[in-house]
Amino acid sequence: MSNNTLLQVKDLSVSIDNELPILNNINLDIKPGETHVLMGPNGAGKSTLGFTLMGNPHYCVTNGSITFDGEDITELSADKRAKAGMFLSFQNPHEVPGISLSSFIRNAYHAQTGAPVKLLAFQKSLKAAMELLSMDEAYADRDLNVGFSGGEKKKAEILQLLMLNPKLAILDETDSGLDVDAVRTVSKGIQEYQKKKDGALLIITHSTKILESLHVDYTHVLVKGNIVHTGDGTLVDEINKNGFERFVKED
Amino acid sequence: MSDNKQVVADIDRSLYDFKDIENEKDFYRMEEGLNEETVLKVSEEKNDPEWMREFRLKCLKLYHEIKFPDWGPDIDGLDMDKISSYVRHKSEMKGKWEEVPEDIKNTFEKLGIPQAERESLAGVGAQYDSELVYHNVKDEVAAQGVIYTDLESAMWGPYADMIKEHFMKLVPPTDHKFAALHGAVWSGGSFVYVPKGVKVEIPLQSYFRLNAAGAGQFEHTLIIVDEGADLHFIEGCSAPKYNVANLHAGCVELYVAKNARLRYSTIENWSKNMYNLNTKRALVEEGGIMEWVSGSFGSHTSYLYPMTILKGDDSKMEFTGITFAGKGQNLDTGAKVVHQGQRTTSVINTKSISKDGGIGTYRSSVIIQNTAKQAKASVSCDSLMLDSISRADTIPGMDIRTNDADVGHEAKIGRISDEAIFYLMSRGISEEDAKAMIVSGFANPVSKELPLEYAVEMNNLIKLEMSGNG
Amino acid sequence: MSRDLNMKVNVLPVLTYNFLHVNDSALQLSDFNIENLSSPKAGDLPAGVSVREGVSFEEAGELFISNKDKILVAKEEEVNPNGVTAARDASQAIRTGMGADVDGLMINMGAGVDVYTVDEGVKVDKPIILRYDMADGQGSLSGQVIHAAKNSEVTVIMTYTSDQEASGFHGVSTRLLAEEGARINLVKTQTLGNGFIHFDDIGGACFEEGGINLVTLELGGSRVWSSAYVYLAGKESSFTNNMGYLCRDDHNLDMNYVADQRGKKTESSMNFKGVLMGTASKTFRGTIDFKYGSSGSVGDEQEDALLLSPDVINKTMPVILCQEEDVEGRHGATIGQLGEDLLFYMQTRGIDEEEAKRIMIKARLESVARMIPDPEIMQKTQYYIQNII
Repeated sequence: MSNNTLLQVKDLSVSIDNELPILNNINLDIKPGETHVLMGPNGAGKSTLGFTLMGNPHYCVTNGSITFDGEDITELSADKRAKAGMFLSFQNPHEVPGISLSSFIRNAYHAQTGAPVKLLAFQKSLKAAMELLSMDEAYADRDLNVGFSGGEKKKAEILQLLMLNPKLAILDETDSGLDVDAVRTVSKGIQEYQKKKDGALLIITHSTKILESLHVDYTHVLVKGNIVHTGDGTLVDEINKNGFERFVKED
Repeated sequence: MSDNKQVVADIDRSLYDFKDIENEKDFYRMEEGLNEETVLKVSEEKNDPEWMREFRLKCLKLYHEIKFPDWGPDIDGLDMDKISSYVRHKSEMKGKWEEVPEDIKNTFEKLGIPQAERESLAGVGAQYDSELVYHNVKDEVAAQGVIYTDLESAMWGPYADMIKEHFMKLVPPTDHKFAALHGAVWSGGSFVYVPKGVKVEIPLQSYFRLNAAGAGQFEHTLIIVDEGADLHFIEGCSAPKYNVANLHAGCVELYVAKNARLRYSTIENWSKNMYNLNTKRALVEEGGIMEWVSGSFGSHTSYLYPMTILKGDDSKMEFTGITFAGKGQNLDTGAKVVHQGQRTTSVINTKSISKDGGIGTYRSSVIIQNTAKQAKASVSCDSLMLDSISRADTIPGMDIRTNDADVGHEAKIGRISDEAIFYLMSRGISEEDAKAMIVSGFANPVSKELPLEYAVEMNNLIKLEMSGNG
Repeated sequence: MSRDLNMKVNVLPVLTYNFLHVNDSALQLSDFNIENLSSPKAGDLPAGVSVREGVSFEEAGELFISNKDKILVAKEEEVNPNGVTAARDASQAIRTGMGADVDGLMINMGAGVDVYTVDEGVKVDKPIILRYDMADGQGSLSGQVIHAAKNSEVTVIMTYTSDQEASGFHGVSTRLLAEEGARINLVKTQTLGNGFIHFDDIGGACFEEGGINLVTLELGGSRVWSSAYVYLAGKESSFTNNMGYLCRDDHNLDMNYVADQRGKKTESSMNFKGVLMGTASKTFRGTIDFKYGSSGSVGDEQEDALLLSPDVINKTMPVILCQEEDVEGRHGATIGQLGEDLLFYMQTRGIDEEEAKRIMIKARLESVARMIPDPEIMQKTQYYIQNII
């Protein structure tokens, strides 16, 4: 493994409830600052990979390992992975009644850094990030994701990404269910994160809308639990034109 | 994630659990047991008017006649022969903290009562065992004509008739066995009168501390909010834990006159050897509003169902409650409402949490009488189960006697989903904190109804319970 | 033979405040006659189904007693809820909705029970139909046991009818056992006359992947008790109940339905739709009981009561008991008159209030009547509903 690899996934196989594996022998290397895209048709196992990387106990690693920042994290719980600098933007973020969005982010920030949160500075940067994402300030005081529209939920995820500033962000279908304007706004948020020195991205998507204004280093194609092809950023355009048919056949 | 469900952090309950070593010679403690002699002795101690002494004896007779309830938690562990119904310090009630006996003052200092009084209350009553040791109301509130005093002295003062007219009329001693017991041995508590049109801007508070082992506390609270007046009353309770049973059988009678509003908030944190058999009832006249906010965290066994009678047309009631049943606790709580007037409205919202073998029961009754045309009632009760050795039971009842009413009922039971925990953990929050966070969020509709200091106290209690040290 | 009855039935699984008068119901009768002590016959039975006729109540119960351990799945960790009443019915071969006093009556009167057995793997597509056609002044007390062996399926329809103006007494006890993978569909329609006293008591149990589906219509009779207690003992067993009722004049309906969920991943769903008119009174008790060990189970109960007169009495006791973390239980109730919005909508279409009420009663009851799997009986029932409103 090269020294400056941030995330290394080696021969990873994953299953649920001891059933047949959903992911087979996945290998993936992500270096700091790189943007990777994981594409594939519905049901290929894309979200499974995101959840497994983040440590959802529902998914069972049957083979292989995940190394992050030089540490084997295969067995670590999700909160420890987050503390190590990983972030997962959920496709369907959970609603948590009774906790406001801002106090939740504050809690998470505190949990990750261990440092006391400076309230004024925090509020200032929260406000700035919300402005960037065209989020109504009122959302800060609303209960986390409760009653948010699909678009607001996704924006709230990107807001957390900007506030928590991880080393690696995994974005799971962040563009699904969004209208054109919302995609543009979310994209803007992701670009803001990319600007950060060495912030790496793994974007999981089955469409290409969100990638139009983003710089992409690598594209991986996942079909039926296998990475069947890896190319550079131009592969996105090709898939945009021709779909996944070629890769499905290859498989 | 599922294999380390019980994370036990090292927090203790010392905030509430400290005991004062009672200096016996400073305290008068009546012998245990209940009979005519002990009742007469309480009456003598209290310097009762004649009618009250007779009333007590009548109640004692009723107590022996009425059967124990056959439907609620088991109360076999409660033996009246081992309960002393009257314990008091030998000094008189004071109007200044400096004059309160040192040991008692220290107790209330630790509970933060004098500080709260300075910062955010219009008046405070502090009861220690059977008697009030401190009573004070801010000058500007007193100047509005608000009466806030102990019931005993009020019985001899200018409000004597008002008390005689209202005392145990709303909760008659025939109501149930412990109402009769209360009538026989009641001692302490407060009398509040808010005159017509007076709005008390900041809350009044009574704090009840039962410090003596094997004792009973039977305080009586009588509040009359006159026409168009407005009051927020807060009640706090705590006790140190002993190995013998303690009993709390208080009685709260609330009269809300035409267009008046009363909010009655309780954070109950009795120790876990307490039998809490408390009766609370409100009568609301035309256009009046009764609001209950109730947090039940303590006690070994609780029977607690504040009742509201919506007598006047357009009167309203809102009940917001939370119950947290932990290890060794059987908390049977809820609310009762009777709609009599037209266009009366009631809203009951409760949350209950069960953990470590605790039994939490939500029990209620909504009665809509034939006269209550266009009444509206809605009940919503949510229960959260944190393991499978606990119980969460929901036993609501509705009795509707008119078609011209709108009644909705919604009950849910569930647990914290693994997905919710994973979502929070993916943001770096530990499993234990994630659970506590979700439980606090679940309790939020209740805590947001409380003044800030009490909401903070309630959240601390939830953390304490979640850590297994409650 | 003329005698008196003094029974305590429909005891709530957990007691509550006595002032609500819902903890149980008194079935009291004096000087009444029961001359008919046998169940009507089904005629030719489909292949794979057999019947033993006129068995004593106790003997018929042996099927349940021999399976008691499998039905109760008792666990040491079980903690009782406050005010539990289970002990009262412990003597029953299988607990029923109305409880032990019905057993006592059946035994004392010597009522006969027909025991239907559906052989393993047999799926009967044609319903078995039992018709109680009651004459004025008649008294009847009888029972059935329906035993569906592994992976079998059977549908039984029972109809209780008489002339509109007839009076009498009619009591039925039906006990059900759905073994592994078996399914019992039981449909009961009651359109007895205005003077009938009627009770219908059901007790049932399901083993792994077994299911009981009940459809009940209580439309006639003056005093009616209708109850069921179903154990979901095996993993992934299920119970669905759809009930429709109409309670009018000074009639009285008293119900006690319990889904006792013990196995893992069991499912219960109970729906009650009804209409109260005149000075009728109704007490509904519905309990979902998640026992220790029922992880992954769901229970749902919905009550929808339409009150059409200012003098009806409607009591509702929706209970959820739970000693299991991983379950989802829900109860909902909507009780009230016809919604103003709906009424207005109908009026804008030229329908007056009386007609709108009729439409709504019909809609409610017919949604249940449509579940009757026999076209003729369904039609008759719909005709009855039509006539009465």
